[in-house]
Amino acid sequence: VILVIAEQRGGKVNRASWETIAAAQQMGEDLAILVPGANAGTAAAELAAAQAKEVVTLEHAALEPYTPDGFTAAMQAAIGQLSPMYVLLPHTYQTRDFAPKLAARMDRAIITDVTAVKKSGADVAFVRPMFQGKLTADVVPQGDAPHFVTFQIGAFRVDQAAKGTSPAPVRALTVNVDAGAIRQKPEAPFQQAKQAVDLSQAERIVSVGRGIKEQANIQVAEQLAQAIGAEIAASRPICDAGWLPMERQVGSSGQTVAPKLYLALGISGAIQHLVGMKGANTIVAINKDPDAPIFEVADYGIVGDLFEVVPAIIEAVKG
Amino acid sequence: VIETLAFWLLFLTFVGAFAAQVSRRVRIIAAAPDGFSLDHLPFRIRRFVVDVLLQVRTIRERPAAGVMHALVFWGFVAFGGYTLTEFLYGLGIVDLTHTAWFHAYRGILAPFAAAVLVGILFLLVRRAFIRPVGLGTHVSIESIVIALFIATLMITFLLTFRLPEETMAERVNWWAHMLVILAFMALIPASKHFHLVLSPITVFLKSPELGNLPNLDFEKEQVGLETVKDLGSKMRLDAFTCVECGRCQVNCPAWGAGKELNPKAIVLRTQDALLAGETGRKLGDVYTEKELWQCTTCGACENQCPVGIEHLPILIGSRRGLVSNGEAPSYLGAMYNNLERRSNIWGLGYDQRTKFIQSAALETFDSAKHDVMVWLGCAGSFDADFQKSLRSLFEILTAHGVKFGVLAKERCNGDPAKRTGNEYMFQELATGNIEDLKAAGVKKILTSCPHCVKTIGSDYRKFGYEVEIVHSSVFVEELTRTRSAALSGPRETLTFHDPCYLGRYAGKVDEPRALITRFGGTIAEPERNRDNPYCCGAGGGLLFADKEEEPGTRISDVRFKQLQATGAQTVVTACPFCSIMLKGAQASAGAETQFVDLMTFVNGKLKKTAPAAMPSEGL
Repeated sequence: VILVIAEQRGGKVNRASWETIAAAQQMGEDLAILVPGANAGTAAAELAAAQAKEVVTLEHAALEPYTPDGFTAAMQAAIGQLSPMYVLLPHTYQTRDFAPKLAARMDRAIITDVTAVKKSGADVAFVRPMFQGKLTADVVPQGDAPHFVTFQIGAFRVDQAAKGTSPAPVRALTVNVDAGAIRQKPEAPFQQAKQAVDLSQAERIVSVGRGIKEQANIQVAEQLAQAIGAEIAASRPICDAGWLPMERQVGSSGQTVAPKLYLALGISGAIQHLVGMKGANTIVAINKDPDAPIFEVADYGIVGDLFEVVPAIIEAVKG
Repeated sequence: VIETLAFWLLFLTFVGAFAAQVSRRVRIIAAAPDGFSLDHLPFRIRRFVVDVLLQVRTIRERPAAGVMHALVFWGFVAFGGYTLTEFLYGLGIVDLTHTAWFHAYRGILAPFAAAVLVGILFLLVRRAFIRPVGLGTHVSIESIVIALFIATLMITFLLTFRLPEETMAERVNWWAHMLVILAFMALIPASKHFHLVLSPITVFLKSPELGNLPNLDFEKEQVGLETVKDLGSKMRLDAFTCVECGRCQVNCPAWGAGKELNPKAIVLRTQDALLAGETGRKLGDVYTEKELWQCTTCGACENQCPVGIEHLPILIGSRRGLVSNGEAPSYLGAMYNNLERRSNIWGLGYDQRTKFIQSAALETFDSAKHDVMVWLGCAGSFDADFQKSLRSLFEILTAHGVKFGVLAKERCNGDPAKRTGNEYMFQELATGNIEDLKAAGVKKILTSCPHCVKTIGSDYRKFGYEVEIVHSSVFVEELTRTRSAALSGPRETLTFHDPCYLGRYAGKVDEPRALITRFGGTIAEPERNRDNPYCCGAGGGLLFADKEEEPGTRISDVRFKQLQATGAQTVVTACPFCSIMLKGAQASAGAETQFVDLMTFVNGKLKKTAPAAMPSEGL
């Protein structure tokens, strides 16, 4: 049996768990999916759509809220009952927290951050990156089963996970966990105040630098942004001057962005700005100064007055 | 006999009070986990003569108050023998007051007494009525009392010339003099006047190196300063020595820009915490974390202190404690990631450095072939703007026949990690670089980054690695000494911003100025220049701080205004980080001021003059 330990919050299964199911199906054995935590039933109903032998829910006071001690103890007990050959997990933060401990507790091998599975006959090798991705290694676990394997997020595709013709049977598992053995006392979870503007997710960005000259001129950039459906951003001097809010600053002391298109208007390209937008796919720079450092990184450079160039672009986009 | 017995009684009481207070402080200092260093003895002796005996550091920044202080100080020293003789007499041990030499000595002391009187009255008026900001917001009553004590001592001394011996008036006068001395003794250990006793010792024990930060020994599980009990011997001595003059405060760029940090308050709060015996109190609580992260490590506080206090080991030591506990501000986390993953502060790939090396046609350093190795640094490797300056430097070197190469691989020298307290990362970067420098057989390094000069030149020594490293301004000044006359046309007025790590740390203030004037510039000096410049705001990791992390005015804005006030249209810079900060300030202000790096300025002028005669051999 191959056991996938799925991860869910509030009954919602995360994408990475489905990716791990896709990986497990490539290994081609009987597949069981274990879904732990409160609301496991809701999650199990979703997971039952997968082509699997069974879905097993596990609810226990020790699993909520999450603690590494509670999870390790409960998973160890569950694995003892299900006696799988492999235990597969998505390489999430939570897995990184408890899985090494679980493997060590059971004195079994763990292979982490796997990106592919190579199967030849009965042998399975797991491919994982080494030396910051410069090399990949084929790793074969040794010793007694179960073998623990975690899968890199995004290495498998959700739509590769095969669905069953009828829902897989769901059953509940009960385990004993000594609540006194849980040493961690989690506090209430908190979410860091989200940036009001999350430029990191923007696909297109129109960014303004000191070449815009006056606050009133920012509307020129805003019109362009509107025309092409872009977010507006700026370099430090613009935000320091209060012409645009701080959260729209791009650079080493602002946000780091990676849009498909980055339009830099009147930005000279000081290094601390460049490091914030170097991840952009296509950089278009408009600047009067042909020696401006921004042209060192730009894919397309327009040497000219942005007050002539930008209206022409808006015209062209609309036209 | 009764007089002698009464004097003994008073003597024992007051001296006892003095000794009890002193021994308490000595015990606090002795409880420190480390000890004192006495390396570089000749330097320490020289500095003792200059700063203690000659009072140079006291006078330099505040000439009027400094000279008045010197008068009082020299007077005190002169009076040493007199006071001793009077005590021996009062205690009935030996009466030397009627000897011929004592009469002569008294005669010599008279002008000293007059000088002390003038000095102390000047200082009294200054403190009570002029009230300079550095001395604090309220007038210290205790200081007024002490000043009046000193005045009384001098007046009672001068009266001895007028009062006939063995008269009632003479005895009252003698008692007044001696009682004031005794009261003075009992008063000083708990006051800022303890500097009378401690400052000569503190100046002598001050590290010869500005911003001296010994490496942490991870084998001994050293993690930096976490609580009051971790404070070192010298830090404790410093806390008791502080004379509260406020030179550190008024010279601090953070304080000047309206931030929370005040180096004087740091020292005084250290003293309070030590005396309160709060050994377990966290330093992030004694000082605020905000203050600790506002320091640019410019070194002004430490360098201007007349009594030998070292602020940077406390500030950066406390940062180390915070970083070890994962309490660094988030903007530093991003920078540390860059250093860890890419070994440079920007987090850029080294292919970009390679591209620059190829486009500038630089050779890989070969000790058999090259005179000097040019260290590019994080700015030189990646910042297209600063690379223009480096290209200028390369042209100057080539034009003068200097053979140079660069290392195939460089890491950040570790300065941003060291100064922000990430010692582990600093040591990783430093040991890696040292290995590469040794392997390449580098004997002499040339760089345009003053931070690299300080870190490689002095912090790397603590790993036992010594190498000669010079800043481009120094190297090129020497190289172009014969190239002065050929310039024509009117002189251009420029202003020069001394980088802290060049002017203050390295003391190189004349070389950049010589270059500017040699090549047709007239320098309009800004306020705060030479070896006491006002920081650009980049040091100590603050290059990466966002505006929320950096409350008050930006330090760079304050400095830019000072440079603008010179009236010069062009600012000459000599450090990539100053250039980044000041250009940012200029853009924010919407000013027309131009910036030019020193090497670009020199090269531009050199190109207009006749080509140099090739020296027959390299430097």
